[in-house]
Amino acid sequence: MLIQSNMKMAEVIHLDYHLLPIVSRFGINLGFGDKTIEQVCREQGVDTNFFLEILNSYYNKDYFPQKHLQGFSLEVIIEYLRKSHDYYLHTKIPLIEHLLRQMIDSFQGIGTETLKLINGFFAEYKNELTRHIDREEEKVYPYVFTVEAAFILRKSSKEIVRLIHAYSMEDFEKEHDNVEDKLFDLKNILIKYLPLPVDLQLCHAVLIELFRLETDLKDHARIEDKVLVPKVKYMEKWLIEHATV
Amino acid sequence: MKNTYVIIADISQLSRSGIMAIMKQTGFSFIFREVFQAEKLIRLLQNEPNNLLIISNSFLNSCSPEVIRKILSQSTPILRVLIQDTGMNSRFYNDFHEILKPEDNEKVILRKLEKQVRSLIKPDPATNQPEEISEREKDVLKLVAVGMTNKEIAEKLYISSHTVITHRKNITSKLGIKTIAGLTVYAIIHKLVSF
Repeated sequence: MLIQSNMKMAEVIHLDYHLLPIVSRFGINLGFGDKTIEQVCREQGVDTNFFLEILNSYYNKDYFPQKHLQGFSLEVIIEYLRKSHDYYLHTKIPLIEHLLRQMIDSFQGIGTETLKLINGFFAEYKNELTRHIDREEEKVYPYVFTVEAAFILRKSSKEIVRLIHAYSMEDFEKEHDNVEDKLFDLKNILIKYLPLPVDLQLCHAVLIELFRLETDLKDHARIEDKVLVPKVKYMEKWLIEHATV
Repeated sequence: MKNTYVIIADISQLSRSGIMAIMKQTGFSFIFREVFQAEKLIRLLQNEPNNLLIISNSFLNSCSPEVIRKILSQSTPILRVLIQDTGMNSRFYNDFHEILKPEDNEKVILRKLEKQVRSLIKPDPATNQPEEISEREKDVLKLVAVGMTNKEIAEKLYISSHTVITHRKNITSKLGIKTIAGLTVYAIIHKLVSF
């Protein structure tokens, strides 16, 4: 089933509550009343079509309108990617840190060292993710906008080609992995190797949040790899081909 | 690949055709037998190879208690899936490996059926056994955990770098841990190294 613009916003959440953080990323918050998706989007100044495509691709794993998504402007796509970054760094990671700390605090006895180790491991992961995100925001996105600006004007230049040769989407693709590995390890350490009688409810809560973060990051990476990268690559190619000699 | 023998017992032609159409989407090959009479079902169950029985609640309800007993006590290994078509709770739930509910959409049905078919195809892969890391792998792991490079480990253990890489691959696949930081945590938890 596809989510459509005349559906009530409240129904969408009933349909799949995992969409809550996605919805709130667009600045749409609870208290929808009986408003439809179209109405809330208009109120919030959100592009309804883009919103629907994102909701549907999260809701239905087999639905990924790659070509259609590529039709949206880079501004809309990157604004969304930035908002997800913000959600990871300022909502999700602090929540997991909080749960981990609670889990560690609730445990007393021999073995706190191990828990501290796990905490340290997560801190390392957080640093890595932060570095990764900072790099995208400070280097990749500005680059992408420069390329788009030149492309829209259909105006290639030596400078822009030099810029593309210095850093292109191909480099982005190469450096764009590995952040998931640590997350994967942390999950496995908790699932398979945590030797201590910790508060199980808290441990489960940590794990569930890790799984959710992982899923969210995968969807996020899919938009980068399948929408952002091909779109910018196409522009790079055009600019290189039309460079004034 | 071996064929899977499927019996679809349902009074409704629409329902039988629908199930077959969805099953074909799994990409596995099936031999379907459609049944809408109890006697024919019993005959099939007794005389022919079967892997999977998909039967509707209303079909079961229309059978005599004796026939129901025959259907459900089928001794040969066979997976049973119930189509809950009457909307009421079925008293047969516990006899089934999977229930298809009225509200299930195509995707859910596909997933449920696919799961059953997969369990038929590969019963128990040998890889399910717990894998312990060997003593030699432990040696390598200890050195990885203290931050040594492959080359340093190779020199220390008098083996080639290539062998070190093989050991590391095996350690990662056995433990399910990919990063050096993760391996270090594992090594400390298991007291292979101390800091």
